[in-house]
Amino acid sequence: MTNVWKYIRSWESFLCLVLILTISVNAVNSDAFLSIDNQVNLFTLSIEKVIIALIMAFIIINAEIDLSVASMMGLAACALGWLVDSGASMPTALAMCLLIGMLGGLFNGFWVTFMNLPSLVVTLAMLIGFRGLARVLVEDRSIRVFPSWFEELGQQPILGPLPLAVIIFFLLLILAVVVLRFTGFGRYVYVIGINKDMARYSGINVTAVKLILFALSGLISALAGILFAARLGSVRGDMGLGFELDIITMVLLGGVSIFGGSGSIYGVILSILIVLYLRNGMSLSNITGHLQTGVIGMLLIFSAMVPNLKNYWESLRASRS
Amino acid sequence: MNVIQGLRPEKLRELVLLILIALVLIVFSSVIENYLNARLFNRVSASVALMAVLAIGQTMVVLTRNIDLSVGSIVGFTAYFVGHQLSQYGDMHPMLAIFLAVGVGTLMGGINGILVAYCRIPSIIVTLGTMALYRTLLVEYSDAKTVLTVNLPRWLLDLPSLNLISFDRLHLRVLVVGMIVVVILFQIVLKYTSFGRKLYAIGSNPEAAKMAGFANQRMVLTAFLLCGALAGLTGFMFLARFGNITVVAGIGFELKSVAAVVVGGVNIFGGSGSAFGAFLGAVLIDLLENSLIRWLQISEFWRDALLGLLILISVATDSVIMKRFQLYWARKQARSSPET
Amino acid sequence: MTQALKEMSLELFSGEIHALVGENGAGKSTLIKILTGIHKPDDGEMMFSGNGVQMNSSQEAQALGIAAIYQEPMVFPDLDVAENIFISHRKRGIWVQWEKMYDDAHKILSDLGMILDVRAPASGLTLASQQAVEIAKAISLNVKVLIMDEPTASLSNHEVEQLFKVARKLKQENVAVLFISHRLDEVFEIADRITVLRDGEHISTRSVEEFSREQLIREMVGREVDQFYATRQKKKLGKRVLSVKKLSKEAAFTGIEFDLHQGEVLSFAGLVGSRRTDVGLALFGIQPNDSGVIELDGQKVSIRSPKAAQNLGIAYMTEDRRKLGLAMPLSITSNITLPSLKRYLGRLGLVRTESEKSTAEEFKNRLQIKTPNLAHEVGKLSGGNQQKVMFSKWLNTQPKVFILDEPTRGIDVGAKAEVHNMIRELADQGMAILCISSDLPEVLAMSDRVLVMREGRQMGILDGPQATQESIMSLAMGELQESA
Repeated sequence: MTNVWKYIRSWESFLCLVLILTISVNAVNSDAFLSIDNQVNLFTLSIEKVIIALIMAFIIINAEIDLSVASMMGLAACALGWLVDSGASMPTALAMCLLIGMLGGLFNGFWVTFMNLPSLVVTLAMLIGFRGLARVLVEDRSIRVFPSWFEELGQQPILGPLPLAVIIFFLLLILAVVVLRFTGFGRYVYVIGINKDMARYSGINVTAVKLILFALSGLISALAGILFAARLGSVRGDMGLGFELDIITMVLLGGVSIFGGSGSIYGVILSILIVLYLRNGMSLSNITGHLQTGVIGMLLIFSAMVPNLKNYWESLRASRS
Repeated sequence: MNVIQGLRPEKLRELVLLILIALVLIVFSSVIENYLNARLFNRVSASVALMAVLAIGQTMVVLTRNIDLSVGSIVGFTAYFVGHQLSQYGDMHPMLAIFLAVGVGTLMGGINGILVAYCRIPSIIVTLGTMALYRTLLVEYSDAKTVLTVNLPRWLLDLPSLNLISFDRLHLRVLVVGMIVVVILFQIVLKYTSFGRKLYAIGSNPEAAKMAGFANQRMVLTAFLLCGALAGLTGFMFLARFGNITVVAGIGFELKSVAAVVVGGVNIFGGSGSAFGAFLGAVLIDLLENSLIRWLQISEFWRDALLGLLILISVATDSVIMKRFQLYWARKQARSSPET
Repeated sequence: MTQALKEMSLELFSGEIHALVGENGAGKSTLIKILTGIHKPDDGEMMFSGNGVQMNSSQEAQALGIAAIYQEPMVFPDLDVAENIFISHRKRGIWVQWEKMYDDAHKILSDLGMILDVRAPASGLTLASQQAVEIAKAISLNVKVLIMDEPTASLSNHEVEQLFKVARKLKQENVAVLFISHRLDEVFEIADRITVLRDGEHISTRSVEEFSREQLIREMVGREVDQFYATRQKKKLGKRVLSVKKLSKEAAFTGIEFDLHQGEVLSFAGLVGSRRTDVGLALFGIQPNDSGVIELDGQKVSIRSPKAAQNLGIAYMTEDRRKLGLAMPLSITSNITLPSLKRYLGRLGLVRTESEKSTAEEFKNRLQIKTPNLAHEVGKLSGGNQQKVMFSKWLNTQPKVFILDEPTRGIDVGAKAEVHNMIRELADQGMAILCISSDLPEVLAMSDRVLVMREGRQMGILDGPQATQESIMSLAMGELQESA
């Protein structure tokens, strides 16, 4: 019985409630909302952010943060454009981009683990740095050089109504749930997030786990950048500018604590859906993109208040009993 | 070693920065022809005037172990807001315009401060959120229109080129003097008032500060208020300098201010640093950017990439130097402790 | 919620040193928090110099002249010594007069007989100097009541003497000193009167002459304590497992040499600051040694990381359970299997939860961990049971050499006895045990041999019968006696 109660009172079920509310309001407001086309479309439009949110959940559970993801997206996309423009073959260029992503992530990880700098500062610096490099590569041009198969891959459905990016997302989603929930590595991610020193004293290689996470974060951001380039068919220096806001909001709203050590992919999925439906709903009601960003900003602040609200609620219950 | 003995960590840091600035000037004047001239001074001082004021606001917040990423949006909003008001009410008194900018900035800083201090949300999250929020406010308020130079009153447009003193072609502009006043004022506040010292104390050890009965929450709020106020002032200076204000005004300023603060030796974990240091940080960054671009003939697009690297390197050396320094103090104390 | 403090009465006179004693959880810290205005009492009243007072904050307590110094001093590491003394003065005014402040700080400190550079940042100070700064702060505030909460716990003997000098000086100046300590010797040395607390209740207050040691202990624990610890039966030692020669680490310890055999309990004794834990951390690879030789089963080994140590069959159980020992929000099971998680991974790196559970179940029965279920959060267990989980966690790695750092810190008397039995059993089964302990009776009861350290140096190894409280203490304070 107590378990059932615990579940009902959990953050995830609160998110479910909010989600149902959002869906119903949207469905009432617009007939088009529930159609499969709209559903796939709204997913596709934000798929890059959603993919990165998965790895961001790992990073924040690990009690770190990576603010450079959106800039890495931009860098990878611009690198792809620049390489192809300079005559590299498509496969080489793609491999290079993924490599850039991984190396960039390792670069972040190096400063965090070996130099013991806070990830907040390191990735803030690289938020500027990677974006700078992206601009160095393409300056203020817009490069449109990709072969048609690449653009089709980004835009056309390949399985039922689903385009490649959405399929990749679902694969990564399953992988993320399994790794975080059921593997030894996932356990290490949590334990390090709870208490890094204690993990070290337990013989866990904290440095290795953090390096792997940052490398993966860079790699997946680069992948997202490539998918973004394929979807748009061209690259520009400001691609993905400010996406980190949405990504971190999705993760925190999903109940992952900013202090690390707790949270789940389930919660993150629910919050991803809420954020997407909110944005979609606002678009359908003709609310501009900028106003949407403001709403997301407010949501971010609210979601960071979650742990405090939870504590407040619990202390209130405790004082009553 | 004897010279170093008398120096406090932040003094040492300021000295190092001054030497670095001198070094940059010497090195580049030997590789770039006609480098050290009045134009360089005028150019660097004009852009440092804005950044230093903003960086000092950021310093107040960073000293308390927080960060304010929304300052860029505050600069943008106040610049547009005041510009818009001035283009409608051209006869507004200049002082009123400045007060308006500072007031709006303070209000926005206050929102950040309340959320951080009283709702206990990490400042990075709050200000990442309000960065978006204030920018949205600007877009909504402006309706994507632009404040145009032609609609602004004459005195404002003349302000940036108004010189207080000129030596030949070397101009000391009013805005620069304003910045210097702000630097001196905040240097005094931080060093010689109990408010300033408490700010350090809170950043140095928040629990001990609480035990000592300091009003931590109110102090943090005050830091954000001051940061907002200075960001508002920067917004006004931005308006005066550029005249044409669009919705992207001040984007990226938050990162530059953090960079100046960190390069200037303010500890990102709070508790140490100075206003003068932040000013020197802003000068060094601007000077380096200007010089490198001129020397390498590289595109302006390198600016951000270099800036990112510069932040990393200065934070890393800072932590290494500080560790050394602490070890040194510890040894010295061990030696001087009484043996009887 | 249980009551932390019940109908507590306490009288403090000016010019007395009043000791407050009691076991962990007796309510001492709650009392201090009430006296310093951090907590408010539910009921009861407080009189200060004959007037009823109510304190709503630590500032109000400070204004009355009540100050406290703690075991871990609360200094501001970035501020200099003088500023640490004066920063919380309410009447400091708006402007800071640096030169005057330096002069005043220098005067107060030299009055106390402390030589400190008032311009040095506090981050470089030793714990004792930090306490001196705190006391100087209290004096500068015209303190009338000074509460010292276990101020000696981390000090060397010399530093304790220094502190006592200061306390006596304050007493002459008519300050009331409330002195809290776990060390009975100190209590008898310094106190005029003693108040005993137990389970949140006031047991007795008498002048120090009216107490005998035995009586004091009896009142503290509430039962007879003829035989706290059973002694260990001397056994024949097995073959040599670990051999350490000239082990050194800069700024920590030098020249550590010992052998450890199967079935042996070797204790590391010494005062705080003797760097015993650093030796343990070196052997476990957390702070690797700079020089010296470590041999395991006759093989020379190099231990550069905890992982390497673990693979060699070395386990280290930390003294700091909360910060370094357990993942408090995780389940008992996850904590027990954490260091040996590799053994529980199946295909694709998935954790085999069934096998995890059976291990946890086994340890629960073996060590009698009291918990309704193994999915319970470790943080919600009692100290003694947490200690058992920590034991399980490391026993599960099947170590050859088990390093225990203060294995009975912060647990109650009953659990202590259980832990002692467990250590004996493990040794009897042939494990080699290295036990760092500050509890002398425990050291004597448990160990086959005792290695005594002082300030990073090995002072000697005492074999079974040679080891007595006196012989250990004289080694631990060795150099001091020579130089005196």
